[in-house]
Amino acid sequence: MFTRHVSRRLAAFIDGELPPPKARQAEVHLGRCALCQADREQIRFGMEILEHLPSVGAPEAIWASIEAACRESPSRKPPAAHRWRLAFAATLVLTLVGAAYWRVAHPFGVRWEVVRLAGSPAVDAKHIRGVGRIGAGEWIETDSVSRASVKVGQIGSVEIAPNTRVRVVTARAGEHRLALERGEIRARIYAPPRLFFVDIRSGTAVDLGCEYVLNTDEDGSGLLRVTKGWVSFQWKGRESLVPAGASCQTRALLGPGIPYFDDASETLKQALEHFSFEEGQSDALSIILGESRVRDTLTLWHLLSRAEVTDRERVYDRIAVLAPVPAGVSREQALKLDPETLRLWKEELAWTW
Amino acid sequence: MLRLAITACAGVALVLAEEFTFTIGSPVASQDFHFKAATFVFRTQGCADPAKSQISGTAEGLVNGARRSVALKVVAGSKPGVYAVYQSWPAEGQWVVNLKGTCANASAGAIVPVGPKGFIRESSKFFPRPATDAEIGTSLTALAKGEGK
Repeated sequence: MFTRHVSRRLAAFIDGELPPPKARQAEVHLGRCALCQADREQIRFGMEILEHLPSVGAPEAIWASIEAACRESPSRKPPAAHRWRLAFAATLVLTLVGAAYWRVAHPFGVRWEVVRLAGSPAVDAKHIRGVGRIGAGEWIETDSVSRASVKVGQIGSVEIAPNTRVRVVTARAGEHRLALERGEIRARIYAPPRLFFVDIRSGTAVDLGCEYVLNTDEDGSGLLRVTKGWVSFQWKGRESLVPAGASCQTRALLGPGIPYFDDASETLKQALEHFSFEEGQSDALSIILGESRVRDTLTLWHLLSRAEVTDRERVYDRIAVLAPVPAGVSREQALKLDPETLRLWKEELAWTW
Repeated sequence: MLRLAITACAGVALVLAEEFTFTIGSPVASQDFHFKAATFVFRTQGCADPAKSQISGTAEGLVNGARRSVALKVVAGSKPGVYAVYQSWPAEGQWVVNLKGTCANASAGAIVPVGPKGFIRESSKFFPRPATDAEIGTSLTALAKGEGK
């Protein structure tokens, strides 16, 4: 069957900017075209590198040279000394950008320890026996019988389950970042918040001092289950805060849904899935409100900012019935989604979670 | 000026009127990543100056039919009046945490049963005074019978 390659649309696809029909076409094509898959990997890696490039200020000398060149009459050919100065400035800028790229891609040669737990896990296609090493830009992959454990710098460890493919994106003291392409990882992090990140196609799990299990399939659908502490699950400016004992589903092109406690009723969980990822939100909302216990104010608190404006009052009223509204939280400010009001309310509700 | 003084007095009266008590929660409630491995966290309420409150507690157990008492590991959090309790008692037997606190002339107590899956909020009891030995015994017996698990 003839299908067009989607290489030119990959950047928009990765950014989630393609209209849904085109995104689905691209997704289907990517599922069977190795060429476009390779292009996608290169683009994603490049994008991640660019996102993490530190900003480097240009030396004053460069601006002086550029301004001097601009002051010259455009009709007059610049003297040789000026041309040399401009060439020097351009070279310097290129060198600085190159150095910054090198620093991100090869952060002082830091490599994390990888321990084989079962089978024959591979780092960049080389099977490891016993203990190996992995650095930024390298992949670790397990087959159906392999497992491995990665020591994440000085801040914790990540266990790689069978059938998993994950890349180390950044390995430096201020940022430890993995990209999980498919499979499952279990992270145990002992560091202060916001030092450990895991990217999947439909979100980023930001550690807030926690232990969790994260799985995803290749299209980006997955589940985050937190066993200790908090995880912030983020995607395109939206955030789901998931505490211990709770889970959060995520879907390709839609991002993380609304978190729920694992001991919530199955009816509530199903309604939440409808609400987050399907049509018919209003019916689902009624079920969620009716099924909620005090502890499910975690879900309701998130619903406040995800529900339609017209439904927001119903959510507010249900929370207020389940748990007393604390001093400092006004109905008006809550319905306006005032960030400080919502933070204060969440911190108070968390005593029931 | 008079209005300000009245408002201040009303505020103080409100704080004094609120009963000194404990609130318990899962470690996430403390918003403190250091506490993620705690058995549970608690906070004092109704105390004008939480820093001056006196908090203590013991773990009270029933092991093979015999009562046992173990000193409690309580750690103060970064926020005033917030504390974490870590397991300092053996795994075998049934155990409750007995919390005691004072703030100026007020006192508070709480009995928090702890099962295999963690603290049991629904069976916890709160008092405007330290819990009595009989109340602790009743909670332990209920826990041994499997009530509130």
